[in-house]
Amino acid sequence: MLKVDVYVDRGVCRLVLNGELDVETVAQLQEVVGKVGEHTLEVDLSGVSFVDSTGLKSLLDISNDWRQKGGQMLILRPQPDVAEVMRLVGLDRLLAQNTAPGGEER
Amino acid sequence: MRRCLECAKKEPDRPCVECQYFVQLSPLRRVPSPPVRVLLEDEHGRQYPARILVLNTTEFGLETEAPVPGRYVIRLQENLWVEVAGVPFKGKNNVHVFDILCVHRKQGTARRLSREEYQLLAGSAGELIQEISRHLPEHLQDLVREKLLAEVEKSELINALRVGKVMKYEGGRFRYLSGQADLDLPMEEAEKLMRQAIRQAEHRREVIISADGQKVFDLHGVPFDHRSGGLLAFDITEVIEKERKMHQQEMQAYREAIAAVTGGRLYLVNSGEMEKVISEGTELARGEVRQTHDIPEARRAMREALPVLDSRRQHAIALCLTEALANALKHAGGGCWQARQSGDIVRIIVQDRGPGIKTSELARATLMQHYSTKNSLGCGFTLMLYYADHLYLNTGPSGTALALDFGIKTGQDQ
Repeated sequence: MLKVDVYVDRGVCRLVLNGELDVETVAQLQEVVGKVGEHTLEVDLSGVSFVDSTGLKSLLDISNDWRQKGGQMLILRPQPDVAEVMRLVGLDRLLAQNTAPGGEER
Repeated sequence: MRRCLECAKKEPDRPCVECQYFVQLSPLRRVPSPPVRVLLEDEHGRQYPARILVLNTTEFGLETEAPVPGRYVIRLQENLWVEVAGVPFKGKNNVHVFDILCVHRKQGTARRLSREEYQLLAGSAGELIQEISRHLPEHLQDLVREKLLAEVEKSELINALRVGKVMKYEGGRFRYLSGQADLDLPMEEAEKLMRQAIRQAEHRREVIISADGQKVFDLHGVPFDHRSGGLLAFDITEVIEKERKMHQQEMQAYREAIAAVTGGRLYLVNSGEMEKVISEGTELARGEVRQTHDIPEARRAMREALPVLDSRRQHAIALCLTEALANALKHAGGGCWQARQSGDIVRIIVQDRGPGIKTSELARATLMQHYSTKNSLGCGFTLMLYYADHLYLNTGPSGTALALDFGIKTGQDQ
């Protein structure tokens, strides 16, 4: 189960995800992302309790996509378990600099 | 070569011709009967009578009073003579191997006997090749014969097999040509193969297992024309067995290497060991996965069945189950899972009936980060290796089974 809310404000598109991002739900995220035209994409993971390797792969793909178009994609506030998995596979570089796991300011 | 000497000591009365170290037992080894009488001539023109007891295209086994070692010339025909050198350590008494150094012909010299020369001495030899190539267009015959002869000679496979049978098929009947006459072939299959080859006018090959499952045959059907063809049959039972053994050794090497680089956490196990792994303890939950939707369902069912765990451990188990199931779905179209508990260990097992992971890809698939045979991020296995305490993997052409152990004792958490 995944819920994706879209907020657009001054050229920044923020996707707020709630639920699980996995092999079953990545298509939902990809569908929403396909309609986003903004230069900066923020993906808020604070409501996501579970991300599997398929979910990570889709985040990586989206990020590469955005970079290719000259924009940028940032991941915000992953929960600790999810942040650990991201670090394990080297995707913590996609994290926004000003957020630490759980969304606390560093 | 040493063995030949030893056998000379052990069995001084045994004729060298029967010793396999004397003139190697290959398809081109022939024992002419009666022995061919020739004359050896040394550089001073001295002549010694000799009898060719056995030969192939590069060696003669001769019975002669001519001193060994020594170089001699054997005149076979007016325009054909062979230079030979006696090999002292191959043979005994007045029987020795003579290496063919050079074959002189009108057309030039060579290092070995040609097909005709060989046949001249070996009598019925080369019948197989003659027979197979006889019906080819003339301009191809020599080429094909030469190639076949070269193939047969260099074929270590055929040497290793030492067993073969050649038959001609014509008008619905097989006629024995050469090779091992008592080789018991599955004739029904052989005939089917021959018919196919003749109908399609092309070489057909099939590997057939005998009805009792004891023998494996490699059958080749070569069409000659619209109603006849040749059948070559090899008994490859031993070769298959050897291959199986080699595969086992290879697996053993992989097992050790993989266990070593994973700090003894990933074990490649055989199917018997896997049976044990998947039956230990008591079952907590099980299920099946046929589509992606089944994966979150499996996660939910497993969470409910697990004992109370801290959230990090629970997350790790859910993640590993997901990765294993996603692999099974991707590579095998689905699979089944179960969770078991044995003392302080929760074991997650995922089995599929896919084509298995090739040995050559096993190390990469299991150990290299971001490697995937199907081009995805491929970090699934990396994650499983990180989170599980022990992993057991059994993979083969009939499927893959993966078992993951998680210690659930308080304090054992990483």
